[in-house]
Amino acid sequence: MSALEVAAEAATAPAPLSLAERALLQFEVEQFLYAEAALLDARRYRDWLALIAEDIHYWMPIRRTVTNSDIEREFTKVGDMAFFDDDRAMLEMRVKKLEAGSAWSEDPPSRSRHFVSNVRILDVAGDEITLEAAFHLYRTRLNTEVDSWIGRRTDVLRREGESFRIARRHLFLDQTLIRATNMSTLF
Amino acid sequence: MTLRCGGRMQMADGATGVEQGWDRASILALFDAEAGWLDRRVLSDQALYQLELERIFARGWNFMCHDSQIPNVGDYFINYIGEDQVICVRGEDGEVNVLLNTCRHRGNALCRAEQGAAKSFVCSYHGWNYALDGKLIGVPGQSSYFHGDLDRSQLGLVKAAQVDSYLGFWFATMAPDAPSLHDYLGDVGRTGIGMICSYGDVEVIDGIQKNVIDCNWKIAVDNLFDWYHVMYSHASAGSAGIFKPAEILHPNNQLVMLGEYGHAISGPGLPSERQTQIDLMSDEERIEASRSAPANSQRIRPRLGAELMGASGVRSMGHPNIFPNLWITLGGMQVCLRLPRGPSKTELWWFTIVPKDAPASYRKVAVWTAIHLFGPGGLLEQDDGENWSQSTRASVGFSSRQLGQTLKMGLGHDRVTVDEHGQRFIDTRINEHAQRWLYRSWTEWMAARDWAELRARHSPAPEGAV
Repeated sequence: MSALEVAAEAATAPAPLSLAERALLQFEVEQFLYAEAALLDARRYRDWLALIAEDIHYWMPIRRTVTNSDIEREFTKVGDMAFFDDDRAMLEMRVKKLEAGSAWSEDPPSRSRHFVSNVRILDVAGDEITLEAAFHLYRTRLNTEVDSWIGRRTDVLRREGESFRIARRHLFLDQTLIRATNMSTLF
Repeated sequence: MTLRCGGRMQMADGATGVEQGWDRASILALFDAEAGWLDRRVLSDQALYQLELERIFARGWNFMCHDSQIPNVGDYFINYIGEDQVICVRGEDGEVNVLLNTCRHRGNALCRAEQGAAKSFVCSYHGWNYALDGKLIGVPGQSSYFHGDLDRSQLGLVKAAQVDSYLGFWFATMAPDAPSLHDYLGDVGRTGIGMICSYGDVEVIDGIQKNVIDCNWKIAVDNLFDWYHVMYSHASAGSAGIFKPAEILHPNNQLVMLGEYGHAISGPGLPSERQTQIDLMSDEERIEASRSAPANSQRIRPRLGAELMGASGVRSMGHPNIFPNLWITLGGMQVCLRLPRGPSKTELWWFTIVPKDAPASYRKVAVWTAIHLFGPGGLLEQDDGENWSQSTRASVGFSSRQLGQTLKMGLGHDRVTVDEHGQRFIDTRINEHAQRWLYRSWTEWMAARDWAELRARHSPAPEGAV
């Protein structure tokens, strides 16, 4: 960005939020994320889909164990291979599969708990809020299967009336080798 | 109830494997090819598993990586021969070296990353330094602390006995007396790799998906031949609309090829009348038709396809497996390794492949297809793992492990045809020929003490009735 562009942007940028405004926004955002997590834990996938923006990019790149000298190659890039690289139509397909009555990997259904913490609002631009959070998805199924996925994610929430819709979710797992039979659940 | 018990016997004096308690006869009895009966202990026995590491993995040719993954001198990719970790590295001379990833001093791993680039390999324990070809080039304190006693020439990293490539796919074996890669692959193995390259030279897209499933590696391998499970196991993926079973399954048009040493191809096959129509199309028309739907089982391969796969093999829209554990899928757009991690654990590694000259639009569709069908998040793959882990688990209990598995489908109902070029194939309906061939070959590999015995006593590729 040129100096001129920076100056132009500064001239039009809204005044920074006050502490009280930030606290309120933090509360709103966190309450939204908890409610969203509760929908997934309750297997209310259709209701969850209602929170997904039409233009969502739901993406989980592949992480690799690399040396420090090669650290820029730790994650695959957009367009290369990933575990998830979904648009809204793809997420609808995942939900449709879960509802099909023959999704054997989820019947008997998994029991999941979606934890979200360390929520930091990184940017507020117009009606879009960019945040970073730590997540922990705990899943157990049958009597012995236990999976645990921990990582960092960046979300973009778009304000819509009293609530938000999720316009981006980029998930950066801490695992490299996925220590699970599958990822038949939603993050 | 009568429980059928395979024999667990003591071996003759002097034979290897006495400690494991499995002799030739008892191993061969684990699969009854005439009855289509598989002893479940094949999926769970710890001693058999240890024997597999020696007699299947160290002895066979294992897929290492593709040329495009390690283009420059020093580029490396870590893979496995059984449970032995190996470094596949591009040497100073441009050739690929396959080195056991273990320091000759105290055994520490030289490489801990999954991939990368190195000038040499320095051990993090005491600083021993190895060149890209495995030569030991530096030992701290060699003249002082070791008093010059070390013969560095004898302490290089252990190299795979043979390393070779076919169409850019690198393989390695720990057996110096193994046949050449060309002979090992035979017609069926070469047809399988030819499927990947039938649109020209290929490259691997960045990002190998890896996950681990609590199953025996062989049930993951035999499943790739199994087109019977698709309708039921993957019903929900069909309902969701990610694939149309009718477009890919063709239950009454199945083409099977069984190759020496256990390689096989099984799955849908174009009827020869359809291939005759395709033969009249130009290469441009065929490539255009394929690019709009890269995973469609009605892919139309250019002439190169028949050159690499043979006049009959080119009709295959199914799944090749390079024995023991390299699955070629999505018409050659992906390969998946099934790596053993104990009798009841398997790692799956997915490599996604596109022609080097493919336009961005094709590449995009290929990546989309690979991510959303296979891998742990793929809509098809999600429903496979638990079938395999539960089948493996039911091979452990005292009563259930004495039962067999039933592999009778199509047994005795088909014939092997030999075309005018000598290529062998079976035109049939949904069947279990390739699974039976896999287990039959497996018993022969396991029963043979060395390559000489395996060469002499293995079954040739079947002819006539099967």
